[in-house]
Amino acid sequence: MSKAARVVRWGVPVAAIAVVAAAVGTGPVIAAVQGDPSLPDRTAQQLLADAAQKWQTGRIPPMSGTIVETASLGLPALPGVGGGGGSSPTSLLSGSHQLKVWYGGPGQARVMLPGEMSETDVIANGGQVWFWDSGDNKATHLKIPAGEKTTPSPLPSFATPQKAAEEALKAAGGDTAISVGNDATVAGRASYEVVLTPKAATSLVRDVRVALDGETLIPLRVQVYAKGAAEPAFEVGFDSVTFSPPAPENFTFTPPPGAKVVEGSTPSLHGDGRPGPRGGKPGPGDGGRVVGSGWESVIVAPISSESSESPESSRGSKGADASQALASVLKSATPVSGPWGSGRLLRSKLVSALVTDDGRLIAGAVTPEVLYRAAGTAG
Amino acid sequence: MSRHDMRLLASEVGLTFRRPRNLAMLGVLAAVPVLIGVAIRVVAGDDGGSIIGQVAGNGLVLTFAAFFIMLPLVLPLAVSVVAGDAIAGEAAQGTLRYLLAAPAGRTRLLVLKYVNIVIYCLAACAVVALSALVVGLALFPVGPVTLLSGTTIPAAEGLLRVGVVVLYAAAGMAALGAIALAVSTLTDAPIGAVAASVVLVVVGQVLGAIPQISAIRPYLLTSWWSSFNGALRAPMATDDMGRGLLAFAAYIVVFGSIAWSRFTSKDITA
Repeated sequence: MSKAARVVRWGVPVAAIAVVAAAVGTGPVIAAVQGDPSLPDRTAQQLLADAAQKWQTGRIPPMSGTIVETASLGLPALPGVGGGGGSSPTSLLSGSHQLKVWYGGPGQARVMLPGEMSETDVIANGGQVWFWDSGDNKATHLKIPAGEKTTPSPLPSFATPQKAAEEALKAAGGDTAISVGNDATVAGRASYEVVLTPKAATSLVRDVRVALDGETLIPLRVQVYAKGAAEPAFEVGFDSVTFSPPAPENFTFTPPPGAKVVEGSTPSLHGDGRPGPRGGKPGPGDGGRVVGSGWESVIVAPISSESSESPESSRGSKGADASQALASVLKSATPVSGPWGSGRLLRSKLVSALVTDDGRLIAGAVTPEVLYRAAGTAG
Repeated sequence: MSRHDMRLLASEVGLTFRRPRNLAMLGVLAAVPVLIGVAIRVVAGDDGGSIIGQVAGNGLVLTFAAFFIMLPLVLPLAVSVVAGDAIAGEAAQGTLRYLLAAPAGRTRLLVLKYVNIVIYCLAACAVVALSALVVGLALFPVGPVTLLSGTTIPAAEGLLRVGVVVLYAAAGMAALGAIALAVSTLTDAPIGAVAASVVLVVVGQVLGAIPQISAIRPYLLTSWWSSFNGALRAPMATDDMGRGLLAFAAYIVVFGSIAWSRFTSKDITA
């Protein structure tokens, strides 16, 4: 066979690779060619007011979708928390994760965290809430008294764009500059982007970008950018979303035969409903309190053997894992001292954490100086 | 497909399934679910709700457990042996010349070889499922199946989902078969082609397990195999499995075309 003919033949796989690469890359390319979508102009105030009104009246349309959550907080790799396919809520703290959500109407929602051959589900229907963990074969049943509006979610509250946006907007007081950025495309939908910029120089957060669906004003994506970083340190947003009523089967749950069924108690997995400063950092859970306000707020929590195992006390060995993880993380921390005492400091792009020698954990999305101040004042 | 092609394919399939080595591989595939089943039966501890632990309560689940355990390495090994041998084996035996002397054409021969590989992939996955079903029925009670989502479905629907898993796994193996076939056209040493395919699988698994480079996981063939667990969710994770099938198709197109270019332009000396 001639050389030319051979070259032609090898053109076929090259073309095949090009076609596949094009198919993989088509999404971004099309988005780039189309440019930013253009939505009718709205000021930040109008947007927030409209959005707040929509959320308050609870007229969120029925929807379902896939949420991708990516956290690159720059935390040291925590053993047992690493990426991959874990389906434990604490695994959300590092790497990229996928959640599926179904929302049928007020009080009807399902959140699914798929893992490899495992699954964690939260299913709320009317006053009934089920928390299902396939790995433990355990179903926890909660009853919400009538009249109470909020549904306690056993997932960290920054797990859905709605919650994260609500938290961010709630916190946006006088210390935040709010503007409207360029329109963005999220999950294939044209969206407004509200940019929240902290005014405090001590905050490690450059800005928080909330993408609101152009049509429904549902938050589709929340990104937290650290100062001096091009990529978001934390991002949670829809990968795909459809605004149509999900199948009713999604909201019914009957504990499978043989499963452990626990009544009443809230599963011990969740953070206490408060995310760390601005949805970026998870709170250390029970026993912590918040010092300072706005973007400068920090969490002060006592560290004891008890609190270090609180996130996962339902699985016996995890407590030991957690304290082990803490010990290994502390080894990499820088020893610091000052008028407030002494301790060890951990820094990442978005979060600073101080473990004082007298057994307190002080953390926030702030520069270490704020932590020292908190350590000095908050006994 | 002409009658001639059918005859050629039938003889290929006959050769593949009569070859002692390939039969032994199928035997191993059938034996692993037996081992798993017996092990669970003997050590009937309470393993919570993990997929392995559930087998004790429901024999049907053994099928899913078997795929969970065998899809990462055992099934790919069996497929690599057959697919890696497809061209290189003929070349090594000196029979490739005779095959090409027949008026089949190289492209047609390659297609027939690949169809043969796909049939073996299907057979391998079916053997695993059947063996697991038989063992599960023999050793454990059978009843409604609890899915990962906590939903309980009737046993008949559970069987249907077993079928979905078999087809999905076979598609994943067929993608690996295309890679192994491409490697097989590059060498005249069948053992080299088999080893290279298995090494690629292992490298894929290792890369997929490193959290720092998790961004490349969607592009690895191996990371899509485990998505068969989408069949065990309610509702079935068709989006995830659909993307897996697309990834398999992409691998088949790319490596199939590489195999074609190489095989149709190569000098057949042996």
